[in-house]
Amino acid sequence: MTKSNNRLAVIAALFITLIFTAPIIWMVLAAFKNISDIYAIPPVWIPDFSYLDNFVLLLSENWQYLLNSVIVTLGATAVCMAFALPAAFGLVNYRFKGRNFLADWILSTRMMPPIAAAVPLFMVFNTAGMLDTIGSLIIVYAGFNLPFAIWVSMSFFRNIPKEIIEAARIEGCTWGQTFRTVALPLAKSGIATVSTFVFIFAWNELLLALFLTSREAKTFPVVISSFSTVTKTYWELISAATIIQILPPIIFTLLMQKHIVSGLTMGAVKN
Amino acid sequence: MGGIVLENVCKSFGEVSIIKDINLEIQDGEFVVFVGPSGCGKSTLLRMITGLEEVSSGRVFIKGQDMTDEKPSSRSLAMVFQSYALFPHISVRDNISFGLRISKAPKELIEEKVSYAAKTLGLEKLLDRKPRELSGGQQQRVAIGRAIVRDPTAFMFDEPLSNLDAALRVQMRVELIRLHDSLKTTMVYVTHDQVEAMTMANRIVVLQAGRIEQFDTPVELYDRPVNKFVAGFIGSPKMNFVSAQPAADNQIRLVDGTLISVPGIAHEDMTSNMTVGIRPEHLEYSHEQGDWCGTIVVEEQLGSDAFLIVEIPGVGSVTVRAVGERNYHGGETIYLTLPRHRCHVFDNHDNRISPNLSTQCTGTVTALHSA
Ligand SMILES: Nc1ncnc2c1ncn2[C@@H]1O[C@H](COP(=O)(O)OP(=O)(O)OP(=O)(O)O)[C@@H](O)[C@H]1O
Ligand SMILES: [Mg+2]
Repeated sequence: MTKSNNRLAVIAALFITLIFTAPIIWMVLAAFKNISDIYAIPPVWIPDFSYLDNFVLLLSENWQYLLNSVIVTLGATAVCMAFALPAAFGLVNYRFKGRNFLADWILSTRMMPPIAAAVPLFMVFNTAGMLDTIGSLIIVYAGFNLPFAIWVSMSFFRNIPKEIIEAARIEGCTWGQTFRTVALPLAKSGIATVSTFVFIFAWNELLLALFLTSREAKTFPVVISSFSTVTKTYWELISAATIIQILPPIIFTLLMQKHIVSGLTMGAVKN
Repeated sequence: MGGIVLENVCKSFGEVSIIKDINLEIQDGEFVVFVGPSGCGKSTLLRMITGLEEVSSGRVFIKGQDMTDEKPSSRSLAMVFQSYALFPHISVRDNISFGLRISKAPKELIEEKVSYAAKTLGLEKLLDRKPRELSGGQQQRVAIGRAIVRDPTAFMFDEPLSNLDAALRVQMRVELIRLHDSLKTTMVYVTHDQVEAMTMANRIVVLQAGRIEQFDTPVELYDRPVNKFVAGFIGSPKMNFVSAQPAADNQIRLVDGTLISVPGIAHEDMTSNMTVGIRPEHLEYSHEQGDWCGTIVVEEQLGSDAFLIVEIPGVGSVTVRAVGERNYHGGETIYLTLPRHRCHVFDNHDNRISPNLSTQCTGTVTALHSA
């Protein structure tokens, strides 16, 4: 490739990147502006990054909802994995009547749109007196991710050679010991991959949180949505909140990245 | 007392019946090899002993105890797999001690056993490596080490050497024989390598399509195969088969018209459409005269042996194994003779018609065989 050609490609790539990241760039800049600077014409391109009033105001009023989000997300991820991993291991390694049917049936529950369950869930939790609790959100998020988590984990457990599981059993392991000492360590990258997806789902979920929470258990996405009202949109707060909202998934993904990459390509190449 | 006993065991996968009513009694301390064509159920039978595969019906006894419904973990067997099946995430040391650690053996005992196994198998320098940092032969040794430290009731091997190169296979074969001599533990070994079967086994089980064709010592299988299948399966190159009919005076008429009389075969045992079998190494050959005259189609010269494929009019192609022979080449004419006492005769159901020899004759046969 010639040099000018090369340069053209880079410019094109930059341009496309700019289009995709423009909203995010705009938001990052807006988070450090006051409301009049946001609407100023000509625009204030580079704000004063030491201006932190938006963040201070946002967090002082909403820190407990951010905490809710953290607890719900970590809780849902943990609960979901705690059920999905043994279930997937069992579905892969146990032989029993109706195994394939059960596996397909689990996946089929995924086909229902979550909103279809919103009203029934509302009624169930209402009756149980669990509306607007963190526990109910953890149950719902873990439950909605279970089919996906089980299915993806199954493919990772399937990649463990059958003989290795059999060797463990002959060496004296019960199924539980085989699961803990052999299957889990070998499916590490799969676990990282699945839990990242569950984490991101639970962290970003808005619809069900709107339905099932009102004050106590409100999560951070609900807070963000409340900044856009019929009469006014608080762009400076939305921007600051969005930055906070997108940070944890990025951090979590970076931490898991090494495992995820090897997880997603596992089985593509031998060994 | 009592090694492994299988009583009327059957196995079906869905509708397909794979193991058909097998009865087998393996003595304590015996080295038994399962051989048979691919897909005949060798691995399945072995896995039924371990409990990895449940039996559809029948009973499995280990050391006199009914183990049919026991989990693999409670049968105290050890198994070495063709793919080694080492645990890739832990070191060689932890692989070897895996079973001991699971059964919560005391630390000193584990250390002692691991270092003994490592010394026996020459793994001392490799104990802290991960399995993927080892060669195939070393990995197989680790798998064997993992098996021996637990003092199992019996060892199960499923084609443990078939992923190794030829030289290493010979070496490991010798090591396994030595191991059996020193441990004196029952070993059940699946292979489709004839040499492994013949050299390692005390007794060999020949399987075909889920049934035992014959269970006998290697020499017995070679000398007195009960049927045509076993005769053709044991021995390499394969036994030559010629179809034949009964003739007058206790004689047998081969398909090309040659009349032979096999000692000890009575006329009343003969049936129409018999088969006469003769091993390639037992055919006598010469440049001048013999029962058959044919042309050498192919000469396979191995140095130690020459395998001559001979085309005989009216008979077909026959293989001759000529030990150390250098003087016969492709395209030449060759005369072949069937030593009568070396001929195996099979009836129309492919079962061997056993020669009813007098004591004097049996003596000659035995002497010839041991020669
Ligand atoms: N889990 C299974 N489900 C269905 N059929 C099976 C299963 N395992 C084995 N079989 C069938 O049983 C038969 C015997 O298999 P097995 O593995 O015992 O053969 P083998 O004698 O060990 O052959 P090889 O020499 O190729 O290893 C085969 O026809 C195989 O297809
Ligand atoms: Mg097999």
